[in-house]
Amino acid sequence: MPHTETHHERPTLVQLRDVHLSFGSNKVLKGVDLNVRQGDAVSIIGPSGSGKSTILRCINGLLAPERGEIVVGNTPVHALKTEADRIALRKRIGFVFQQYNLFPHLSVLENIVIAPTRILGTDRQTAEREARELLARVRLSDKADAYPGQLSGGQQQRVAIARALAMHPELVLFDEVTSALDPETVGEVLAVIRELVQDGLTCILVTHEMRFAEEVSHEIVFTEGGEIVEHGTPQTIFHAPRNPRTHGFINALRN
Amino acid sequence: MIESLLNAFIAAAKIIGLNYSFLLSAYERGPWLEGIGITIGLALLSIVSSLLVGIVVASLLTSGKPWLANPTRAFVELTRNTPTLVQLYCAFFVLNMLINQAVGGAQNNPLSAFAWVVIVLSLHYGAIHAEALRAGIEAVPKVTRESALSLGFSRSESLRYVELPLAMRFALPSLVNNLVNLVKSTALGSAIAVGEVTYASLMIWTQRDNVLELMIFIFLVYGILTLLVARAGSWLETHLRMPGYGH
Repeated sequence: MPHTETHHERPTLVQLRDVHLSFGSNKVLKGVDLNVRQGDAVSIIGPSGSGKSTILRCINGLLAPERGEIVVGNTPVHALKTEADRIALRKRIGFVFQQYNLFPHLSVLENIVIAPTRILGTDRQTAEREARELLARVRLSDKADAYPGQLSGGQQQRVAIARALAMHPELVLFDEVTSALDPETVGEVLAVIRELVQDGLTCILVTHEMRFAEEVSHEIVFTEGGEIVEHGTPQTIFHAPRNPRTHGFINALRN
Repeated sequence: MIESLLNAFIAAAKIIGLNYSFLLSAYERGPWLEGIGITIGLALLSIVSSLLVGIVVASLLTSGKPWLANPTRAFVELTRNTPTLVQLYCAFFVLNMLINQAVGGAQNNPLSAFAWVVIVLSLHYGAIHAEALRAGIEAVPKVTRESALSLGFSRSESLRYVELPLAMRFALPSLVNNLVNLVKSTALGSAIAVGEVTYASLMIWTQRDNVLELMIFIFLVYGILTLLVARAGSWLETHLRMPGYGH
């Protein structure tokens, strides 16, 4: 169970109000509300196609909602007009993808230093030192000179996490980061995320790892059909859900 | 030393009926050797600038902005669908004349026939490179671009640091093929009297009636140059290979 008892007093970092989004005639988000406090880990669960990944892409401005408000810190994401504003937002938000999406032509070390050096203007030495610290943190110190194609899925995903952390994000979005992994490498990735949550990094996770979600999250959000059906503590959602749809989903997974 | 080697070569060639005696005449040998230098110069300059044109054109084609992409598309189609020789004539006999008039005489025009060959070949092959690069850029998975944007790269930084380096690798075999063709196309310079190796040979065989002898030399010159381009290409392919991808 989550650690801090004072987390209710922490300020809100991410707020979504009545967010709507369609792809053509397909309504993907139908009025999503979400609150994430600083330092919280919030897991979004729900059936495939319920709009979970779309929510994450709206938060970092990869997708623009048709209606509704998204605020990250003091930034009204829904009102950002220029690419420069969206870039400024994305520098503050890490994003880890299901398919890792490392840059295959760059070594592990280069994958991690490219964004700090090219975008933040960090000098090469500092960036490289931080990259090596991050690699140690995800337990891949010996892989600095390897290329993504030479690593297992779990190793690539840990590099992807290190790459996101190299930008010193105030928020990290995890989009089904273990869904493409072999079962035996899932654990090593989850272990890294668990540590980040314990260190107080604000995380929003879209995940199918229910046991993990229950263990690390401060809050669970259940989505279905583009709506937030129910949200609450892991205890409530997994063991005493109020909504019958939540109940059905959780039960189906148990059996 | 060189003179005696030359004499030995000419004597040996004579046995099989080939007449290379033009090599002994400095008046003919000089321009011919210079022609090889001009061919190499045309090829090198056009290779570099056609690649630059290709990168710019491919970036515009994939910019997603219709006001940039559509005129660029028109340029590519026009360039691909007209003969290079016609383009060269058009540039040299039409554009160049207009420039001459505008600047008050050919003596004030900074553009030589050599420069026009480089310009036309660069634009022509640039358009063809751009299509190869566009295919490469479109082969970069959408999620790779998303991950670059998520890190805070702008669209153009993503193109420069992520998409183009990958596109370059995907497009490399086509690009090398284009460059081999480009080297051979430098012979078009002879159409507007640029003294490259084909033109220089032409000048000699009209005087000496030694077409076969010079043809053998011309084949050797282009053969060696294209071989070097192909070799450089396969060196690059090996050098840029991404470990863990392909074979």
